[in-house]
Amino acid sequence: MAKVKGLKCKECGAEYPVEPIHVCEFCFGPLEIVYDYEEIKKNISREKIEKGPKSLWRYVDLLPVENPTVGLSAGFTPLIKAENLGKLLGLNNLYIKDDSVNHPTLSFKDRVVSVALSKAKEFGFDTAACASTGNLANSVAAHAASAGMKCYVFIPSNLETNKIIGSLVFNPVVVAVDGNYDDVNRLSSEIANEFGWAFVNINVRPFYSEGSKTLAFEVAEQLGWKIPDTVVAPLASGSLYTKIWKGFNELIQVGLVEGKPPRMLGAQAEGCSPIYQALKEGRDFIKPVKPNTIAKSIAIGNPADGPYAVKVAKESQGDIQIATDEEIIEGIKLLAKTEGIFTETAGGTTVAVLKKFAEAGVFDKDEVVVAYITGNGYKTMEVLEGKLQKPIHIKPSLIEFKEKVIGKK
Amino acid sequence: MHSMKLKLIYPEEKVKEPILSRVCKKFDVDINIRKANVQEKMGWLELEFIGNEEEIEKAINFLVESGIEVLPIEGQVFVE
Repeated sequence: MAKVKGLKCKECGAEYPVEPIHVCEFCFGPLEIVYDYEEIKKNISREKIEKGPKSLWRYVDLLPVENPTVGLSAGFTPLIKAENLGKLLGLNNLYIKDDSVNHPTLSFKDRVVSVALSKAKEFGFDTAACASTGNLANSVAAHAASAGMKCYVFIPSNLETNKIIGSLVFNPVVVAVDGNYDDVNRLSSEIANEFGWAFVNINVRPFYSEGSKTLAFEVAEQLGWKIPDTVVAPLASGSLYTKIWKGFNELIQVGLVEGKPPRMLGAQAEGCSPIYQALKEGRDFIKPVKPNTIAKSIAIGNPADGPYAVKVAKESQGDIQIATDEEIIEGIKLLAKTEGIFTETAGGTTVAVLKKFAEAGVFDKDEVVVAYITGNGYKTMEVLEGKLQKPIHIKPSLIEFKEKVIGKK
Repeated sequence: MHSMKLKLIYPEEKVKEPILSRVCKKFDVDINIRKANVQEKMGWLELEFIGNEEEIEKAINFLVESGIEVLPIEGQVFVE
């Protein structure tokens, strides 16, 4: 495996071979993939990528997988010039990277899970697992089904089953654990370390998280091999945000684009904003919080990559901002009514924060800004109940239609 | 012998209590602290519990009942 040198601890730098491991034995820090960029540079080119599949796998040279077998249609989602929203915010070059239409389960998780399970198959695993009720479970269950892998999904037992219908349809084994979220977290970790399974965001996490880099690769290619001036992305564990940054830096490193990496703006929900708080208070460590927000898909109170996200925000001259639940709802509605895109609460958070930054005068009107929309609103429509306009009721009468709807007699 | 890597998070009101010392006395587990940050208003430790599965489980339950948040070393892996 020439392109990948091995794994390395992000904290102490200890090196490891390419194995399904994720924690440093010495300092317990997280492990990350180390590439041989000189070797990659010899084999990669814009032309080769452009001739590749219309999926995230066109960037396989910069991913830790030799032979992609899972999620072959994931990625390569639209990059839309947001003229209407841009006009409203005073931005002439605003783009939306729309992962609400990722294949097959309509969120950016299809990227990371494709990479995780392709790698899992290379390692010889026949079982995929995760602990989730949302986008992650949807994606793991769907990809495991298509890959012919067994699948286990762990959830706390007090959750309503209708929350997981979108995963149950793929026929995974759902294990409802008597206990709270922390109990599920601990049990998942023990299972990942004891069974020969690919627990996507545990023992194959170093490979899984690399999938998010493709959000940077695609944007650069779709902009005509240019790096945007600024990007806005949601922060949950901090992994997506830091990997977008890594992706742009890699493109420069292997010579596919020129220029400097973008300014990284991040978005958190006010009710779960430990990374924002660390940045504002000048801390390099995260104080865990108890989430209390409607933005469930980004509500991670103890984010594993939080300290690295703080570092990226500083290094890129970026910033992180927060949005209240009301602002998140308004963000969802604003994107829908201006661009015709229905996103979920994570996307609402990103749009709300984009608006705040614009109102604060953070952008030059001509700079190229890309906002990452990571999930689909049709999955969490309940958050909009009572927040939208009501139908106009009329009798089946043309007179009443003219009076009540058109507003003239 | 079983081992488990854990992250313990102490809320402000528990920072002053010698809870880990109590764990050592009450349960047959070895504790190997690898990283820690303890301040007046909060604290966290990354450590390894070594012992048999039952004793480790009892020790974890004791910590949780004592008001400590006990996460795996990976932190929160469950996502809605």
